[in-house]
Amino acid sequence: MNSSFPTAGLDRRAFFRGSAIAALAILGTGSLAACSSAVGEQRSDAGESVDPVRGGTLTLAIPDDVTPSALLTSTTIAGITISGLVFETLTRYPLDSVVPQPLLAKDWKLSDDGLTLTLNLRDDVTFHSGRPFTSADAEFSLRTYADPKFSAQLRSTAAAISGYDSSDPNKLVLTLAHRTGNIFDLLDLAPIFDSETFDKAVTGESFIGTGPFVFASRTPNSSISFDRNPNYWVAERPFLDRVEARIVPDSQARLTSLKSGQVALVAPGSLTFRDSQTVGKTDGFETTALDGAELQTYIGANVTAEGLTDVRTRKAVAYAIDRERIMSEVYRDAGYAVNLPWPKSSPAYDAAKNSTYARDVAKARALVSEVGTLPTIPLTYTGASPDFEAAAQIVQANLAEAGIRVELDPVEATIFFKQLIGAEFKGLWLTSHTFAQYIPSTLTVSAYPFNAAHNASKFSSPAYSAAADAAWQQPDGSSDAAKKLYADLSTQLLDELFLIEIGVVVQQVSAASTVRDLSWTKGRQPQFANTFLA
Amino acid sequence: MFRYVLGRLPSAVVVLFLASLLIFSVMRLVPGDPALALAGPDATPESIEAIRHSLGLDQSIPAQYLSWIGDVLTLDLGRSFILGGQISDLVLAGLGNTAVLAGSALLLAVVLSLILSVAVVVWPKKWLTSVVNVLNTLSVALPNFVTGVLLVLVFAVLIPVLPSGGVPPGGYLARPDITLQYLVLPSLCLALPVTAALTRFLSEALRTEMAQQYVITAQAAGVTRWNLVTRSALRNALPTMLTVLGIQTGHLLGGAVLVEAIFAWPGIGQLIQQGIGRRDYPVVQVLLLLSVTIFVLIQLLTDIVHAYLDPRIRIGGR
Repeated sequence: MNSSFPTAGLDRRAFFRGSAIAALAILGTGSLAACSSAVGEQRSDAGESVDPVRGGTLTLAIPDDVTPSALLTSTTIAGITISGLVFETLTRYPLDSVVPQPLLAKDWKLSDDGLTLTLNLRDDVTFHSGRPFTSADAEFSLRTYADPKFSAQLRSTAAAISGYDSSDPNKLVLTLAHRTGNIFDLLDLAPIFDSETFDKAVTGESFIGTGPFVFASRTPNSSISFDRNPNYWVAERPFLDRVEARIVPDSQARLTSLKSGQVALVAPGSLTFRDSQTVGKTDGFETTALDGAELQTYIGANVTAEGLTDVRTRKAVAYAIDRERIMSEVYRDAGYAVNLPWPKSSPAYDAAKNSTYARDVAKARALVSEVGTLPTIPLTYTGASPDFEAAAQIVQANLAEAGIRVELDPVEATIFFKQLIGAEFKGLWLTSHTFAQYIPSTLTVSAYPFNAAHNASKFSSPAYSAAADAAWQQPDGSSDAAKKLYADLSTQLLDELFLIEIGVVVQQVSAASTVRDLSWTKGRQPQFANTFLA
Repeated sequence: MFRYVLGRLPSAVVVLFLASLLIFSVMRLVPGDPALALAGPDATPESIEAIRHSLGLDQSIPAQYLSWIGDVLTLDLGRSFILGGQISDLVLAGLGNTAVLAGSALLLAVVLSLILSVAVVVWPKKWLTSVVNVLNTLSVALPNFVTGVLLVLVFAVLIPVLPSGGVPPGGYLARPDITLQYLVLPSLCLALPVTAALTRFLSEALRTEMAQQYVITAQAAGVTRWNLVTRSALRNALPTMLTVLGIQTGHLLGGAVLVEAIFAWPGIGQLIQQGIGRRDYPVVQVLLLLSVTIFVLIQLLTDIVHAYLDPRIRIGGR
């Protein structure tokens, strides 16, 4: 009778054999790790030495891929990473001051009238293509930076350069349309491109600079690799053979990649402050503060929105906010509360002025009473950010104590930027800004929220514009004369309160303890020339 | 059979056309602007307008649709606003990675569900059925982002024997042993709910088949349950499994978006997610249309295989 049924099929023995093979394939793959482990191979670069040693691959996790056509706006961590590894700038600020130091420019001289800057350039630098770096490349790069289509942050400063003389390949003479106090901010930030291959950088095909690492390959949305520049002009540097940036969009996945040893480093600002703090307390890992490369968290106010037109309401907000609580609970004490944007390393920092709006709920209530009935004010922020979400909730509770009703309005990052640039916020907004760690006038002429000419708050004031211009046109941005002008600017900011600062936030970077001598610029660009794997 | 296949094609084309309209419209209805993502937070309105013009976003919506669909029909997918580079290259790379992940998950799901379904029908022990039911319920109840995180925590952090994510550094073929290790966790995470669904349907189909008259007759004649299940009932139950498999493949592609994010797997799911977040219209449009196309093709393929296995369907389809 059996023969009447199909014979081509599994018999019991085959089924068991097949099941066993499948089970082994599924469950036994982990045991393969014992002989040939993907995890072990990721960790094989680590040794035990603490002296600088040559070699090895540093793997880091970054949250997003580069937007090549927006390389000059440096809005992505991938863009910042490429900028820091592949490109160099003419001068470089140390992290703790705004006194420029030589980089591709050996030395310089600013004329007495502050209108001509002569830069002597290094003559031993070559691009990764092998072509020597010349003043023509520096001119090309600064002209590119000034091009409106790239929306570079310091474009107004680059546009103040009215003349270039690059006739001497090792000397660049810049003529300024007016005295420009933040010209060295531009020289610190503007990457020097190879003029012959810039088009390929904009399309993401290739990035040719003079930096310690050579762009090797990019797999969009997956990874970007860099090899050691064997012809780097600094002898014996860099130590590392290779840097590999892996794109890991999910914050939790970045954390587990670090903890599992799959990456040795997570790019600054890519973990929540709580996670950074936890990692820093874990054996085998370290969390380092990026002092000198700070961000500032603030509340912006649309001064034309109902309820916010009266400066007393804005002052009530400033008095009501519990900055210390936000810095402690949200940012895990990675920073400090301020009333003004300037960090402690800034020539504009003023400890006394920073206590102008120390938390005083009674004063806030009194001001609200003076103003009368207030409508419910929306508070817009990027909902995807757990830090902003937590900060916004604290602000809502603080303002409720002062009698100001706030409706939370979390939005997507793209929509948030649309509202920021279009000055479309309906009330308050909460976010962070940068650039206060540079020459103070950079903030007021370049950072959009502070821009005296047009800003997201729809605030305009001849006095503020005059103070911003005066500070900008002070040739020595860190002189005593400049500090007086910054004091005037600070007074304007405190009196008008179109932006209400919460705190200076020091970014954190978490890494395996085997990664040594990590360094960043003020713009958070990685400086791995001295980095090595211990 | 050819006429049956031909008869199925017009509805597929209509679905694709409507999908292209819907995808394009939805992308334009979503608030946000790709020009802003490119311009950065400190851009002036003038810069943004210039970028919008260079991207062709200042044209009318119908003109933008016609331009896009015309290019797609000539296989010119254009360039990504945000990532740069040809979309065809991005899609091919992403699709390859997703295909490897989804394919291995599908294979895993089919193998596991066949083993479990056959086991519970051949050996109808109460404890075995209960264990399989509990596993099924857990696999369906726990979402991917929970099982994924749990798998990573256990096998990559607590007992670090497998990579927490990413693709093999040297490619899939260079080191198959390493590739397998990279695939285990994301494939398992993606396969679990599919396995549960397939097991449930297949075991029920097998049980139904085992209650048929011919099976009872064969059992009376002394044919073992093992032979009956593996040589007759399984073949008759396969059309049911295929139907479910077709539907589950679509769900599997949807689930890949989350799994790719958890395991940093650079497939089309990750590409779509990033594209939507940054309003990379051309990339998202192409990928969504591609997803619909794949889904339509899978359904078409399922129908064809179904018709092949069961002649009544193709005869009825004439």
